[in-house]
Amino acid sequence: MSEFIQLVIAGLTTGSFYALVALGYTMVYGIVRLINFAHGDIFMVGAFLGWTVLTTLAATHMPWGIGLLIALILSMILTGGLGVAVERFAYQPLLSAPPLSILITALGVSLALENGVLLIFGPGFNTYPQLIGSAGFVLGGAHITFIQVGIIILSFLLMAGLYLFVHHTFIGTAMRALAVDRDAARLMGINVERVIQITFFLGSSLAAVAGVMEGLYYTEINFFMGFIVGLRAFTAAVLGGIGNIPGAMAGGLLIGLLEAFSAGYISSRWTDVIVFLVLIGTLVVKPTGLFGERVVERM
Amino acid sequence: MKPTMPISAASLGVAALAVAAVLPFLCDNYIVDVALTIVTYGILALGLNIVVGYAGLLDLGYAAFFAIGAYTTALLETLLNFNFWETIPVALILAGVSGIIIGYPTLRLRSDYLAIVTLGFGEIVRIIATNLNITGGPNGIYGINPANVLGHDITAPKAIYALGLVFLVIVLVLVLRLGQSRLGRAWTSLREDESAAEAVGVPTLRVKMLAYVIGALIGGLGGSLFAARFGTIDPTSFTYAQSVTILIIVVLGGRGSIPGVLLGAIIVAGLPEALRFLNLWREFVFAIALILLMLLRPQGLWPARLRRVAAPSAAAAHHTPRAEPAAQVAEATAGEPEMLLEAKGVSRVFGGLKAVSDVAFTVHRGEILSIIGPNGAGKTTVFNCLTGVLVPSAGDILWDGRSLTRLAPHRVVARGLARTFQGIRLFDNMTVFENVLVGMDHRFRVPLLAELIGLPSARRDTGLHYAAGRNWLEFVGLGDKAGLRAGDLPYGDQRRLEIARGLAGQPRLLLLDEPAAGMNPTEKQSLMGLIRRIRDLGTTVLLIEHDMLLVMGVSDRIIVMDRGQIIAEGPPSAIQANPRVIEAYLGTEEEVEDDGSLGAPILGAMA
Repeated sequence: MSEFIQLVIAGLTTGSFYALVALGYTMVYGIVRLINFAHGDIFMVGAFLGWTVLTTLAATHMPWGIGLLIALILSMILTGGLGVAVERFAYQPLLSAPPLSILITALGVSLALENGVLLIFGPGFNTYPQLIGSAGFVLGGAHITFIQVGIIILSFLLMAGLYLFVHHTFIGTAMRALAVDRDAARLMGINVERVIQITFFLGSSLAAVAGVMEGLYYTEINFFMGFIVGLRAFTAAVLGGIGNIPGAMAGGLLIGLLEAFSAGYISSRWTDVIVFLVLIGTLVVKPTGLFGERVVERM
Repeated sequence: MKPTMPISAASLGVAALAVAAVLPFLCDNYIVDVALTIVTYGILALGLNIVVGYAGLLDLGYAAFFAIGAYTTALLETLLNFNFWETIPVALILAGVSGIIIGYPTLRLRSDYLAIVTLGFGEIVRIIATNLNITGGPNGIYGINPANVLGHDITAPKAIYALGLVFLVIVLVLVLRLGQSRLGRAWTSLREDESAAEAVGVPTLRVKMLAYVIGALIGGLGGSLFAARFGTIDPTSFTYAQSVTILIIVVLGGRGSIPGVLLGAIIVAGLPEALRFLNLWREFVFAIALILLMLLRPQGLWPARLRRVAAPSAAAAHHTPRAEPAAQVAEATAGEPEMLLEAKGVSRVFGGLKAVSDVAFTVHRGEILSIIGPNGAGKTTVFNCLTGVLVPSAGDILWDGRSLTRLAPHRVVARGLARTFQGIRLFDNMTVFENVLVGMDHRFRVPLLAELIGLPSARRDTGLHYAAGRNWLEFVGLGDKAGLRAGDLPYGDQRRLEIARGLAGQPRLLLLDEPAAGMNPTEKQSLMGLIRRIRDLGTTVLLIEHDMLLVMGVSDRIIVMDRGQIIAEGPPSAIQANPRVIEAYLGTEEEVEDDGSLGAPILGAMA
């Protein structure tokens, strides 16, 4: 039982990262029909920006809570800006080109971000400052750390905030309108380019939060960390039904749990095989993912 | 068939191959080694190009087939003492079977979901190779024997290069022939508009599957060659990054373009070698170069040519008597029954809405039957039920005494029903002539292999096929536009091309869904003539149309629908006088008084 609880908590923690990153995939896909293959690397850049701020602040003897808050906010703003810049320079000129062309530029951006970070920070692992350590409490025989609890709570708050934003603000309504019909939205007076940029900003800053939290949780980051998280998050977005925000959240948590249980009860070597088989099996039964809606075509 | 690449590209291709062939005699082993890498990527990219370029599907796990070919050759040689050539058939079979395995569950998925499923498949293959003992785990397999030709082991770099070049040329010929074949056309039509392709007779599921399988075969062949080249393989050669590299070659070069793909292979495999002096900056510069190239040339460096096959001349087409429209129709309608089609109590429900309810009618040989009715009356839903796009919720549709419901659209076309669409659905990025060919390809009886090799029987059939296609273009008045891009035609011509595409499939019954919509009076007049000429040849016509002048002018019989039900049926004169019809169009008498001005033009047209 204690092992089970341990695995659930571990799964929810990593699932939170995946869910936050999956939201970026799903929001961008919903609005511009692009699978943003650079998104995993945006997450990685967010982790590095957070690391830079935290290690800089570590010398100032500031209380760690404030330092972490500053690191999170700065990383969110800068990473969000990076997402917007990528959209502006690499994607926007190709929005009306064949979809595969934009997919290839996304792969190019991914490669450029990885190698850019490699050039600046080097190929090794960078260690995150140990702010809280592994302090925690015991629940049902399982050791649960404060970091895990903090990560799960923060992620749920952010996801709830995003949900409210999308459903109860003017810009959120505009985003949903764009997802249905970009041209009609433009005709209704919506500034389409700006809404797309806001979408990229939001998606990228959520990924930045996930990046900083992943650094705190696993304590080490490197330039290649975006690949596997990006892959799992993308899988999560598709599993939940790509373009669907609650779907991405549920998909992320599901993948996290699946990963924890397969590592705990089978072997982490087979985690990806299990995750992908679950995905393929789900899509065969429900081709639009768990929360996706059926698209009806008119003849 | 004549080679269809333009002279310049064809001669350029031969010249490039000649340069590639003499390369080993001029350069040192390093250059030859890079050239061999380019050749390997060239083979793989030509294979992936079938999936991505020709068929427009996405595959982010193509390296899996490469891995399956390589591991099959490696394992059979090291465990069972097969020689290289004996391993190739097995490698091809296993790669082909895995093409089916990956293709099957993904066929019905939306194209964007293909990305993650194929990616997952690629990762699964790599992880299995890494985790199993038989595949040597992360260390891979050593001591794979080189290929042996006439008693000589192919080990020297230049000899392996020559072998690779032979493989490349074989694959090159195959993909060129495929591109010109009916299968190549079917792939392109799929890429352009999947539902339209299905509705004009392309068996889309099978065609998609064939794209994956043939792509997989070529990937497997590349893998076998790779294993024999290095004598050792390990999982790091078959990563997601490898799949992405092959995809980049195809898209950067130009999807569907053979010279483009080969150019892409040279750039993607050669550029990093040329950039070695940049050391650590190499990958970064490559990534930026890739982004810039895509921004500057979104269609790829050497985009695919529009035309794969040229139409025969009008004179040549007329020299083939069996290809004349009259002969074609006579062939199709020979022995058809008096009552062609019978709809019995057909209903179709969407959610809670009854779009069509208990509709029954018959279509007789050689007539022009029109279905009219206000918008939302259920006319197109009836068409969709007849053509297999929708399955009726209740009732049956009999054709030749056999039920048509539950048949896939392409099977309905094969039975002899062809259709056009309310909103025009042509294959925009194919030529006018090739649009017509897609419509008639389901009639091809010669096996695909015979067509690829170019057997005399296949050439004869192809010749007949092309001549008939050309004649149908002539018939609708588009004879001089055969080589144009279909999407560039003016509106009226696009409508007529859709009709030609339908007619070319040798239907007994042609269904036209609002063919006059958006036409000007002159165009409508000539459309009327065209519909009469179609009937005079012997093809039965079922027409949905709002233009009363046209309907009253051409129809032998009219069915009027309103709110999902048939409210009247009879010859034009009887329909014009039918009070229920007038009510359906104009409302009840009190309403007419209120809004008489609106009704006047319609009444005038009907009178």
